[in-house]
Amino acid sequence: MKNPYMPKKYTIIDIQHQTDIDYTFRVACDIKPKNGQFVEVSIPKIGEAPISISDFGDGYIDMTIRRVGKVTNYLHGLKPGDAMYLRGPYGNGFSLEQYKNKHLVIAAGGTGLAPVKSIINYFHRNPEEIQKLDLLIGFKSPKDILFREEIEEWMKNKKFHVTVTVDKGDESWTGNVGLITQFVPKIDIPDEDNLEVIIVGPPLMMKFTGLEFLQRKIKEEQIWVSFERKMSCGIGKCGHCKIDETYVCLEGPVFHYTKAKQLID
Amino acid sequence: MDINTKKIKKNAYRVTKVRGKTALRIRVPGGHLEVKYFDIIKEIAEKYGDGSVHITIRQGFEVPGIDFDKIPEINRMIAPILQGLELDYGVSIGDIEGGYPAAGTRNVSACIGNKVCPFANYNTTDLAIKIEKAIFPNDRHVKIACTGCPNDCIKAHMQDFGIIGQVEPIYDASRCVGCEACVKNCKKRVTGALRMENYKVKRDEDRCIGCGECILKCPTGAWSRNPEKFYRMVIMGRTGKKNPRLAQTFLEWVDEETIIQVIVNTYAFIEDYIDKEAPLGKEHVGYIVDRAGYHIFKAYAFKGVKLGPKAKVANYIDFGGYTYERNIHFDRCNE
Amino acid sequence: MALRLSREAFNHALKDLSKEYKIYAPIRLKEIGRFSETDVVRYGEISMVEEIVTDEKSHFSPKEILFPITQTLFYFTEEEYKEPKEDGKKIIIFLRPCDINGVKRLDQIFLQNGKDKDIYYECLREKVKFFMMECVEGFESCFCVSMDANKTENYAAAIRFGEELLLEVKDDGLMNIFQGLGKETNFTPEFIEENRVKVCLPDVNKITLELFEHEMWKEYSQRCIACGRCNFVCSTCSCWTMQDIFYDENKNNGERRRVWAGCHVDGFTDMAGGHGFRKNYGDRMRFKTMHKINDFKKRNGYHMCVGCGRCDDICPEYISFSNCINKVTKIVGEERKS
Repeated sequence: MKNPYMPKKYTIIDIQHQTDIDYTFRVACDIKPKNGQFVEVSIPKIGEAPISISDFGDGYIDMTIRRVGKVTNYLHGLKPGDAMYLRGPYGNGFSLEQYKNKHLVIAAGGTGLAPVKSIINYFHRNPEEIQKLDLLIGFKSPKDILFREEIEEWMKNKKFHVTVTVDKGDESWTGNVGLITQFVPKIDIPDEDNLEVIIVGPPLMMKFTGLEFLQRKIKEEQIWVSFERKMSCGIGKCGHCKIDETYVCLEGPVFHYTKAKQLID
Repeated sequence: MDINTKKIKKNAYRVTKVRGKTALRIRVPGGHLEVKYFDIIKEIAEKYGDGSVHITIRQGFEVPGIDFDKIPEINRMIAPILQGLELDYGVSIGDIEGGYPAAGTRNVSACIGNKVCPFANYNTTDLAIKIEKAIFPNDRHVKIACTGCPNDCIKAHMQDFGIIGQVEPIYDASRCVGCEACVKNCKKRVTGALRMENYKVKRDEDRCIGCGECILKCPTGAWSRNPEKFYRMVIMGRTGKKNPRLAQTFLEWVDEETIIQVIVNTYAFIEDYIDKEAPLGKEHVGYIVDRAGYHIFKAYAFKGVKLGPKAKVANYIDFGGYTYERNIHFDRCNE
Repeated sequence: MALRLSREAFNHALKDLSKEYKIYAPIRLKEIGRFSETDVVRYGEISMVEEIVTDEKSHFSPKEILFPITQTLFYFTEEEYKEPKEDGKKIIIFLRPCDINGVKRLDQIFLQNGKDKDIYYECLREKVKFFMMECVEGFESCFCVSMDANKTENYAAAIRFGEELLLEVKDDGLMNIFQGLGKETNFTPEFIEENRVKVCLPDVNKITLELFEHEMWKEYSQRCIACGRCNFVCSTCSCWTMQDIFYDENKNNGERRRVWAGCHVDGFTDMAGGHGFRKNYGDRMRFKTMHKINDFKKRNGYHMCVGCGRCDDICPEYISFSNCINKVTKIVGEERKS
């Protein structure tokens, strides 16, 4: 019998410090995920944690991991060459086909950028497959900004309109200050019917950003969100992530807004 | 009027402030009685008293306003109470129609106990009755109370002997889900004897007072009771005009036999060490222990006692309390 | 095959069976209960029929045999993941129809929910044979009839307790054990047809977000103390949490376990970093209620709750789940019987 809880051992090949508390781990592995899926990262005797895959390529996956608990604390002490145990990928992920040849808006708050980063990079590499990509990226403060180098690259893309904002600036910050919701009305939407919107971030950010898009007469059917919930198993057994009849680990974490608004914790 | 006050006092009547009037005290060992006895008390109060009754702090009834000459009649009337609440418990009462044979050793009182209270760790009334049987009648002035748990609702800490129920909590780690309900509660409401380690609970036996709160709080039955009963005994607490103080722990994790034997043994200590010059031959046991010393008392208390393997005994007690050196802390306001 | 047999003969069979099976039944654990001088009735191994408590509902359900409260998933030696060795013995469980139906709900989650099977559950489940304890009277808080969980055909043997025992054996593997131990007779077990407590089930199609925000949950915000007893005694609650530990004596070694979790208990939804949902206890009551009588059915076609009433029996705050179901139905309307 196959044990679905048995992880596989992989090797960390690179660690990039994004901020003081967010590191991106590149792990050599044969996992071929869809954008927006997650894995259970496992450290023997320490624990397991569901972590979204922030990017992937031939023979590797990236995970941007914030130090917030026992497992992630431990992970932050690891070096390239060390082992990391993984099982997955889990969840439904985003369907890229849904967004191809359309106007796509991605609103990402904080670590919410991680699960959508691979989508952005896909269209960055394949700009002919998208009409236009508006990125609204929000962080708490300038020191919390993730993927700085990649964001700078995205800004050079002619198909992309990138807005980076922080809740609170500092003396050296000359960019936008304010919540993501404030920038939704400023997006240029030539054709409402040709639009798809992805919103990922903390629960309140997703809620209010969604409402802003509805204000702009975007239909619920055109909006996608990704949820984060406590999970022990990732495979529909432990019950932690269940919301009504929906298991976030199985039917999510990506939900259509029409569904998401029905999910009351 | 010619009344032998010494005699009527031993008969559980007393001299009151109203000349010619006495009051009867009825014992209720363990503080629990069948209501049928109320009828007798009611009849005495209505026929011989002023129609009222006082509920005493020791869980007895005091019927005031009685004429001294009615004592023999009343003693005959209370025979069923002596029968039901003393004789039937195994207490030796000589003449059942002669009233109470002694009043020095007070009624052994008890909280409601495990008949009703979820916190109580034993049947306090039953133990109080067993103690009553072992020590009554006796003229020596001793106060005893039984309480089900360290909440001490009966105020065992104000007695010469206070018996507090203890339970040994048994932990089955495999039933524990690590919800920490016991740990949080013990920290908040008890002594903080529990802590989490590796998602399971560790109990510090030295801090644990055996209250049983962890068992009450556990939602999975990971904590359960050792069915064996244990008791803590606190001693020599008192109120009064000389040196009031709370009783201090003398024994922990001892069994019922030990509790009873220690109390019985104390009477021999009193006989040997009581102040022979004491007014009316009356001296509280706590003052005798103060004078003779804790170790002498302890030697008497343990005669013939076999302590169980879990028992703990105080090797020294600092009784503390306070004395009335009133002028040290009080100023006259108008000086 | 059906037999009338003496208790001695049955005990003889139990002795035979114990070579191959661990035999579990509700047993009485004297004076270890929550309150002084109270007993606990819960599942434990037996060797004689006299040990089985037949006149009282077990405080905890038999789920702990299939889904242990603490279960080791892996042993870690240095960095290696080792699965625990299997106990070779098969399992017999004496249980009532409601609890057999409860196991069906556990099967649904552990074996059918999602594409993966939970092998730890499956491994134990495959070894189990049910000895159904006939239950025609029920107990004060039972409402199995309303939940359609009073009957089952899913048993290896059924037993009626009395001076003598009546036994129906359906499992071929058990025939030779009981053959000749008693007189052949006609016996098929009866089932309870009416409980004292009845619930009306809500029409799940009419359960909308309005109910989620309804006043009725506010009462539970005040009353519920979030102890989780209702979750833990429930024969169908199947949630759990992972725990990793290292051993005190050798920190290089340790294990990964799972333990029961309950949606009423603090921390159930808390993520690393601290964010959690349903801080309000009334919301937890709503969440559990909806799982038992609404969303499980939406997902799997039948209600989760089996009406064993253990949650009503155990609640220290006297919250009645059956009454809560009735309140929901009163608000949204009754389900149409098919």
